[in-house]
Amino acid sequence: MPSDSNSTSSNYSSGRDDENPNSDPNSKPEPQLEPEPEPEPEPEPNKNPHLIDQSLDALENQLASISMSSRSPTVTFEGEEEDDVESREQPKSMNGSFSEEIEAGGDADSLEVGRHFESDSKAESSGVNGENISFTWLDAPEVDEVERPLSPGSSGYAGEMGSTSGGDEIVDDDEDDSDIRGVENDGVLGSNNQSVSGKRHADEDDASVSWRKRKKHFFILSHSGKPIYSRYGDEYKLAGFSATLQAIISFVENGGDRVNLVRAGKHQVVFLVKGPIYLVCISCTEEPYESLKGQLELLYGQMILILTKSVNRCFEKNPKFDMTSLLGGTDAVFSSLIHSLSWNPATFLHAYSCLPLAYATRQAAASILQDVAGSGVLFALLMCKHKVISLVSAQKASLHPDDILLLSNFIMSSESFRTSESFSPICLPRYNPMAFLYAYVHYFDIDTYVVLLTTSSDAFYHLKDCRIRIEIVLSNSNVLSEVQRSLVDGGMRIEDLLVEPTSRAGAVSSHLGQPRPGAGTPGRTADGSIGIGGPAGLWHFVYRSIYLDQYVSSEFSPPINSLRQQKRLYRAYQRLYASMHEKAIGPHKTQFRRDENYVLLCWVTQDFELFAAFDPLADKALAIKVCNRVCQWVKDVENEIFLLGASPFSW
Amino acid sequence: MGCASSAPERSAGQIGGVNLDNGGANDPKNLKVKLVLLGDSGVGKSCIVLRFVRGQFDPTSKVTIGASFLSQTIALQDSTTVKFEIWDTAGQERYAALAPLYYRGAAVSIIVYDITSPESFHKAQYWVKELQKHGSPDIVMALVGNKADLNEKREVPTQDGIDYAEKNGMYFIETSAKTADNINQLFEEIAKRLPRPAPPS
Repeated sequence: MPSDSNSTSSNYSSGRDDENPNSDPNSKPEPQLEPEPEPEPEPEPNKNPHLIDQSLDALENQLASISMSSRSPTVTFEGEEEDDVESREQPKSMNGSFSEEIEAGGDADSLEVGRHFESDSKAESSGVNGENISFTWLDAPEVDEVERPLSPGSSGYAGEMGSTSGGDEIVDDDEDDSDIRGVENDGVLGSNNQSVSGKRHADEDDASVSWRKRKKHFFILSHSGKPIYSRYGDEYKLAGFSATLQAIISFVENGGDRVNLVRAGKHQVVFLVKGPIYLVCISCTEEPYESLKGQLELLYGQMILILTKSVNRCFEKNPKFDMTSLLGGTDAVFSSLIHSLSWNPATFLHAYSCLPLAYATRQAAASILQDVAGSGVLFALLMCKHKVISLVSAQKASLHPDDILLLSNFIMSSESFRTSESFSPICLPRYNPMAFLYAYVHYFDIDTYVVLLTTSSDAFYHLKDCRIRIEIVLSNSNVLSEVQRSLVDGGMRIEDLLVEPTSRAGAVSSHLGQPRPGAGTPGRTADGSIGIGGPAGLWHFVYRSIYLDQYVSSEFSPPINSLRQQKRLYRAYQRLYASMHEKAIGPHKTQFRRDENYVLLCWVTQDFELFAAFDPLADKALAIKVCNRVCQWVKDVENEIFLLGASPFSW
Repeated sequence: MGCASSAPERSAGQIGGVNLDNGGANDPKNLKVKLVLLGDSGVGKSCIVLRFVRGQFDPTSKVTIGASFLSQTIALQDSTTVKFEIWDTAGQERYAALAPLYYRGAAVSIIVYDITSPESFHKAQYWVKELQKHGSPDIVMALVGNKADLNEKREVPTQDGIDYAEKNGMYFIETSAKTADNINQLFEEIAKRLPRPAPPS
């Protein structure tokens, strides 16, 4: 990640004296901490000089025949796909949107290896990065940068595009959702509350213009090229495309190598091979490779949670085994997971978050869970939506945060769990990918549910009894009503962070969940365009405790109040995280980054990682000071925001 | 998937479980029976159960995961009550190997197909055979053709269901969870057919 090179090992305190009053976001900051980062967009990788063209050409030639034979060759650019409704840059006119059509052609071209369209004016060159086997397909660099709203024919839609600053012009379901759903005061982007339907746009296939325009595709396929899952479109119709992906992977494997990443213009194609299962992400979201790879790992984990890794045996018996039917009815699980990849920080932090609760309340829940965990229950989790209220595990068993994420995603996206109590086989991929556990699931109310996991398939009636005991204790000690109150009250609000250098203790409101006068943030404009956030322009933060494997994030408040802005911030954190943990030159300790959207500050110590976003005009020294206050604040309220003492992790 | 425990063997050992579960062995007036619903995915097993237990019908299909557990008590005219403990299993293929987990020890099984889907009728026959092999020997079985409200789309003739049920000693009925047609009759009829424990002498 070349643009993230501005990390140093300096401590925050060392930079304090060099306050630079210059608040121009593009100006150089004070020299002491680090040089100003390159403003986005990040440099295109196709400037990479180490390119080897011939092997790519060979690959292309090989693939051209595959892709050509597998679908009808007629692709039009006239915008006649009627299911293009989600595309806000929809080419309304049949004749006026040339720039869009070029772009559409470019996208499609880069998605489809080795295929050329009549209207595609770009000379396609290709290359391989010589050192590691990361492939790079190049389009002519600048053509791709054509902004869609320029199209005169789509002027009716241009207004909507005006607010984006990133390259968000391609159909993106998550953003479409954001216009419908309101802001959830939930400390996270959006919420999983909306019913995530099953497969979306199942009528599409790789010949559909709308399908090609999707910003982010996920595919799971078998090593024989059979489709298993596709985020968009019908798996069976994508058999040809799937075979193309398989051919790319096996071509490189035949050379004794492995393909990790292919770049094609703005698109990245990320590959992950897990035995007989191949996972591929095709994305033009500009997320870092490491992030996308992590997302594929999660997708794989979700599949293992449903089927266990013993599904590999089916492929040993029959390499052409069709796995699609085994995943029947789980489209909603995958859609919901993929959606959470753009709002849930747990997906890249590898940490879980707790519902803020008074210490005593959480203890009451923990003790009854502990009680039942002594009686043959391996893990007992009490959850509210995707947040943990309490969890305990039998001795020596440890629960990985990713498993919590995948488990809660699975339960929340499967409507049937809400209908009645259930007993279902479930595999925890990080615990034991080879075997099923049995999960007893019961919802106490619309948000709150208990999961009891056991190794015994006979344990249903016992677990049912356990649940009844838990339910009695929870209602006697008012835990469930406290949970509901916490949901309403929310967690840490940046407006409540006071910076008073004179007094350390008591400088912050250390009680969460108490109604505060002025918490309604009067005077803030609803559109958030001029929101001021917390002190020193603090807009938001995420704090991850390394020992606890937990994180807390502040509630969103203006100006980060639209889901679009929240998602953009999420992506910025994600990039920040990836750059801090980059293997080649990391890990780093601090990073200060200013661009046109934010000042981002990241601070990694042995104990915690802090990610904070500020107004782009924020003063650096003040920002550093505020970060120190945030850390202190988190420390002050850790009893309420974290699950302490009951760490499920074996050290 | 080979992940199921060796349930079929155990089911043989648990035949007594029928009576244990009954709990009504001592009380012939208050029976408690384990009932399992089996059948292809999407035939309406959950809808039948929810119609019976809660009187509800939700047209949005919700895929069952693993199995849901519900119970409902009905009173018969002879003043006995029967409490059904119902295992509503998932129809998905990946759960087929785990079915013994749920039908083990069941006193009643309802095998459901969709009258508009010959494939699901075929699948129902698979389940009948499976239960004949591995279920409790004295299990009461019912064959149910669901979605009777979709008569105009019917592809499985009623007579086929009747014939197959008769051949296998099953009770047969066509139901509609949507209109509630025959749902209560189904469960009442099953209750009547339950073997009654001998009254205490």
